[in-house]
Amino acid sequence: MLKAEPKTILNFLANYFDSLKDLFDIQAADGVIQRERLAQVLSERNDNIEATLLEYKILRKIGEDFEFRDTYFKLFEFILNEFRPLLPETIQKYEQSIGKLFQKIREGVKGDTLILRSRIDDLYNEIKEFSEAVEKNTIRLLAETRELKSNVDKLDYKEKVRKASFWIDYYIIPLNNILDINHVDSITNKLFDISQYTNVRRLNFNDESIRIQFEKLYTFLVMTNDNLLRQSKLLTNELLPLIERIRTESIILTGWIEFLKQPYKSPVPKIFKPERNYPYSNDMYLNAKEYLEQFITEENILVEDPIANSDKWVFNKELYRSKMLEQLPIDSFFDWCGLTLRSEYKNIETDKFFALTGLLFEDDIMLELDETEKDRKLIKTSQMTLRVPKIKILKYGIS
Amino acid sequence: MEFPRYHKDIVSDLMSGKFILASDPKFVSLKESEEFYSSFFKESFGYEIEIKTDFAYLLSYETGEQLSRDICLFFAILSFELDKDGKNFLEEIQYAEFETEKLDEYFSNSSYAELILNNNQMKDAFSRKQFYTTLNRRNIIEKTGENKFTFTQAYKVFIDFAADFAKGKLNAAIEG
Repeated sequence: MLKAEPKTILNFLANYFDSLKDLFDIQAADGVIQRERLAQVLSERNDNIEATLLEYKILRKIGEDFEFRDTYFKLFEFILNEFRPLLPETIQKYEQSIGKLFQKIREGVKGDTLILRSRIDDLYNEIKEFSEAVEKNTIRLLAETRELKSNVDKLDYKEKVRKASFWIDYYIIPLNNILDINHVDSITNKLFDISQYTNVRRLNFNDESIRIQFEKLYTFLVMTNDNLLRQSKLLTNELLPLIERIRTESIILTGWIEFLKQPYKSPVPKIFKPERNYPYSNDMYLNAKEYLEQFITEENILVEDPIANSDKWVFNKELYRSKMLEQLPIDSFFDWCGLTLRSEYKNIETDKFFALTGLLFEDDIMLELDETEKDRKLIKTSQMTLRVPKIKILKYGIS
Repeated sequence: MEFPRYHKDIVSDLMSGKFILASDPKFVSLKESEEFYSSFFKESFGYEIEIKTDFAYLLSYETGEQLSRDICLFFAILSFELDKDGKNFLEEIQYAEFETEKLDEYFSNSSYAELILNNNQMKDAFSRKQFYTTLNRRNIIEKTGENKFTFTQAYKVFIDFAADFAKGKLNAAIEG
């Protein structure tokens, strides 16, 4: 349980973002944040926040060292668009979980709806996690391979090929196998089967709520399959031919690849920004005339006094409440309302009358409806004639 | 006072942000009166004029930064995609004729999809078509048909920028 308010934690993240980003980079590179590195990062910026990092459960202690809790690590990965690459065998595990859940759904489709609903939910989540894992890996692989192509670190060709082979053998080819639609055992193929199955079920399942869930799963699958197809295309077009692509190198391309990393923060060449009017414009005269004319015509300005609101009646509830309590018991509440108003004003105005009737709901009084009076009483207000019952008001607790 | 030939057109073109190219007769007159135009723009408006061997353009204090950034993005993605396609991107930009349909293919299959979709000038085929009209108006491209164009020498402003940008990065990497 955290003592701090959620907003306080978010503010803390924003205030100490630079230090946190450095710590994130350290963990991304080393897998852990050593005690000395933590102290170094915090002292460089004079951020004395070690205790708070633990209190807010952003970091956790691992022996003498530290690491980000998963939630925060993933948050930083997401906002910085920097993901650690998952080994394809880690992604492969989704094949089993997705396959198993799908099999259970098929077998138990006529069984208990509650368990069926949970299974569809779980399948949805597994597919979502799988698709996110693939996307994160593609982002990371694209960044790594662009880095190789850009070659800012000036690696020699042999070293570049060694690095490229590493990415291809351990990440790109296995990921391609997972996504390759032509591969019978690929997860993508399995997702197409699931998609076909849910497409039928979303239309002809007896239980409406399950039908809606199949519909949701189907829509999501259509989207996911498109996305995976796109990822697969990137793999075949851009990542698999990596060795071929790093053969050529160009300083201009290095410049562009580096520029594209942060295109909205980099400087750009100066080019001329035309102004609206310039001496050779044909419209210059008319534009100038129009501009000046708006200052020539002076319109008469009339200022009207706001309508006085002095006679607006405000219901002084306390005043009328104490008047009512003083006069208890009251034989007929509505008559009392009428008499009170008439004693103060010439006639009974409808909204004033209704305002007074609100006193019926006060706590200190007891109401008694006189059922012997069959006929309703008539009270004439400025706008209408009201037929009201006879209600007796007594002081609460004392009759 | 006698002004250089095409004076009015030269001023009008430059002040509307156009590049004046070597293939344009105005360029000869501009080049011949280089000193005059340098001081003319400096004294009259406070603008600098850049006269290279094969094109000229104006620089103002307030620059068309957004357009310049969009053009850089366009060249960057195009160069990257041409290279990916196994082509010598620089030669293509210098000499080839581009068909908008082929460019649409490059842009819609690019791995820089997120950048492209978030850019109003490049997000789809229609926006790109309008962008080409802007480039054409500024003499950065020259239309050779309904859906075809070649780049003019003005491409050098952006390609040189990329090379300088890389040098800055390389130096930073060496120093770092």
